[in-house]
Amino acid sequence: MFNFLKNKRLFMLMVGFLVLIVLIGLTIGGREKITWPERFLKDTVGFVQQLIYRPAGAIAGFFQDISQLNEVYKENEQFRMMAAAYARDKVEYNFLKSENERLMKELEFKIHQEQMYDYKYMIAQVISVNNDANNRTININLGSKHGVEKNMAVVTSDGLVGIVNSVSAFYASVTPYTELSTTSTTFNAISATVMGKETESFGILSDYDTEQERLIMSKIGEEDPMVQGDIVITSGLGNIYPRGLRIGEIESLKVGDFGLTYVAEIKPFANLNKLTEVFVVAAPSYDEEEETTP
Amino acid sequence: MSMNRIVLLMLAIFLVEGSLIPWLIPDSYGDRIIPHFTFVIVIFSALYGSRHQALFLGMGFGLLQDVIYYGHMIGPHFFFMGLIGYLVGVVLERKKTTLLLAISVVGFACLAYDSALYFVYSVFKFTNGSYPWALIQYILPSLFLQLVFTLCIYVPVRKMFEKRMRSAESSEEL
Repeated sequence: MFNFLKNKRLFMLMVGFLVLIVLIGLTIGGREKITWPERFLKDTVGFVQQLIYRPAGAIAGFFQDISQLNEVYKENEQFRMMAAAYARDKVEYNFLKSENERLMKELEFKIHQEQMYDYKYMIAQVISVNNDANNRTININLGSKHGVEKNMAVVTSDGLVGIVNSVSAFYASVTPYTELSTTSTTFNAISATVMGKETESFGILSDYDTEQERLIMSKIGEEDPMVQGDIVITSGLGNIYPRGLRIGEIESLKVGDFGLTYVAEIKPFANLNKLTEVFVVAAPSYDEEEETTP
Repeated sequence: MSMNRIVLLMLAIFLVEGSLIPWLIPDSYGDRIIPHFTFVIVIFSALYGSRHQALFLGMGFGLLQDVIYYGHMIGPHFFFMGLIGYLVGVVLERKKTTLLLAISVVGFACLAYDSALYFVYSVFKFTNGSYPWALIQYILPSLFLQLVFTLCIYVPVRKMFEKRMRSAESSEEL
């Protein structure tokens, strides 16, 4: 029995364990850039996976469409109502936009301040999903060649999906919101507010409760006007993540651990299963030179 | 020659399990049934090949997975795929392994693998679920997928590894 733990084997196990600890230590947390062998591997594997994921998704989507055919009429009606509402709002929006631009000119905004919220939405295809329950990384087919950078937000038409974690030349990995955690170094907390009360509400999305499948928003002030059912959006404070991205709906609001602040549970809008198309949100970049010569 | 084919097959399975398999799993079970097909092949190579082969295949494909889906850290898959493959090889290599034994070994190995990953992630606080919850939520449901996969590939993969072992032995004799 004890030749199972022969000296040589035990020694190799120890060495292996040391290698594991060192590897984890080196790679845990936010690395700014991944090394070139990793980028190379990501690009080659990504290329092949792209060829599989998209046709599979198309076929699966086709069958799903057939089974949901009778819901089309209902959906169509909803869309019509939404289109009417959109046309109404669009007129008002144009007025407000031109007014806003005029005021910005008069107040002599710097170029980067004016363009601060001109986000560019880049459409990307999902190419693969990690098969690890605790790390559901999603790979997409946009990379640094297309202007994707670390920490860019990724959304679907429903809501926030996650944050770009590492980028190779043609592909990028996205860390989904399920990995949000105060103790993690890979995912910064996201500052959030609620729709309609943008200036009065504030909270920090800090955790994800895996058992309840809910996002946790903490540090909500006592006088905060947010109530159950409000739609949570990113606030853009902190200037890492763009503002105005839909996240989810407040499901419950209760007093936090120390009784000074409130904690809200949020049901996220975006479903992470069977994603096909996502948008990478790029904030406009500006040069320092532009700033000095307005 | 045959080793190339084994690696090629595993590569194909690795690519497919990240891109095709998610589409085959029902929507409501998307985050509960998680394929570990490359790991199953590693266990096969331990049962019907040699323990060193399992160690290297496990380490190689574990590292590949860690790198491709880099999220929190590199290392857990690399280490545990290799280690569990090797341990299975130490115990059962070159014994006469029947279908039933193979399936139960794959089952226990998958349990060990998922549990080990869970504990690594919970040590570094990347997951806040409790172990019983994780067991019910995804370890046991995905175990069934692994067992079904084992049943499907048992005959061809076993033949492949045994052929490879025979050719390796005969070349040693020459």
